[in-house]
Amino acid sequence: MIARTFAMAADGLRRAARPRLVQSLVLASFVGMTVAAATPVTHTVVMKATSFAPLTVTLKLGDAVVWRNDDFFPHTATAPGVFDSKSIAVGASWKYRPKAVGEYAYICTFHPNMKGTLKVE
Amino acid sequence: MNLLRLLFAVTLIASSAGVAAQAPSDAQIASIVVVANQVDIDAGHLAESRATDPDVKAFARQMITDHTGVNKQAVALVTKLKVVPADNPTSQSLKKGGEDNMKSLKLLKGAAFDRAYVDHEVAYHQQVLDAIDKTLIPSAQNAELKALLVAVRPAFVGHLEHAKQIQADLGKK
Repeated sequence: MIARTFAMAADGLRRAARPRLVQSLVLASFVGMTVAAATPVTHTVVMKATSFAPLTVTLKLGDAVVWRNDDFFPHTATAPGVFDSKSIAVGASWKYRPKAVGEYAYICTFHPNMKGTLKVE
Repeated sequence: MNLLRLLFAVTLIASSAGVAAQAPSDAQIASIVVVANQVDIDAGHLAESRATDPDVKAFARQMITDHTGVNKQAVALVTKLKVVPADNPTSQSLKKGGEDNMKSLKLLKGAAFDRAYVDHEVAYHQQVLDAIDKTLIPSAQNAELKALLVAVRPAFVGHLEHAKQIQADLGKK
C-alpha cells in the first residue's frame, strides 16, 4: 500500500503535467491509512478466581474495554468517580469506553483485593 | 498396674493426637467446603432480614450469592469426580460453630446485631482461610479439587477485607 502510494507519487512527479490528480491520490491514500490506524479496538478483561486478567490494559483513547465475568459469583469494575459497572453477573459482560487520557486504578467493590489498571494513551 | 494404666493413657493420647493431625481425605475436604459455605449462607440469610445498616445488608446478600456460587461449583466437581462428601470432626465443628453463632445472633437486634454479625464474619473468614492454607490445599489429592480451592481462596480474602472495612465503618458510626 505504502510502496504503491510512493510509486504513484514518484510517477506523478515525473508527469508534471498532471500534478493535481496525483496530489489528490496521495492525499486520499494517506487519509485512508490514518483512518485504518485509528480504528477502535475492544480489549477484553476476564474476571476469574477473583482477579482481573490482564491486570493492566493499555489502550488508545477511543478504544473500549469489555469485562467478562467467568467466575463463580458477581464482580464489579469500579474506578470511584470515573466508572462503575455495578454488579456483573456470572457469564455476563460490561463494556466501557474511556472518555479521557489517564491512568485509572479500579477495583471490584465486592472483593476489594481484586485490583486492576487502565492506561489510556 | 499403675504403670500399665499410665502406658494405656499415653497410648490413647498419642493415638488421638495422631488422628487430629491426620490430613483429611478428598471426601472429607469436600464435606468441609460444602459445610463452610453453607454456614455462611445461613448466617447471611439471617443478616439479610435482620440487619439494619444498608452496607451490612448488602454484604449479607453478597455472602449468600458468593458462597452459593462456590458450593454450586464444589457440588458439580464432587459429582463429576464421584466423591461422596464424608462427615468429619472439622466439618462437624464448623457446623456446630455456625449453629452457636445463629443462636447468639438471634438474641440481638439493631446496631448490636450488625456489629456481632460483622465481627463474626471477620473471624469466620480468617478461620476458613487458615484452614484452606494450612489443611485443605496442602491435603487435597485430586488436582481439580486442589485447583478449585486455589481458585476460590482469593474470594475469601476479599470477603475478609470487605468485612473488615464494614467493621471499621460501623465503629465510626
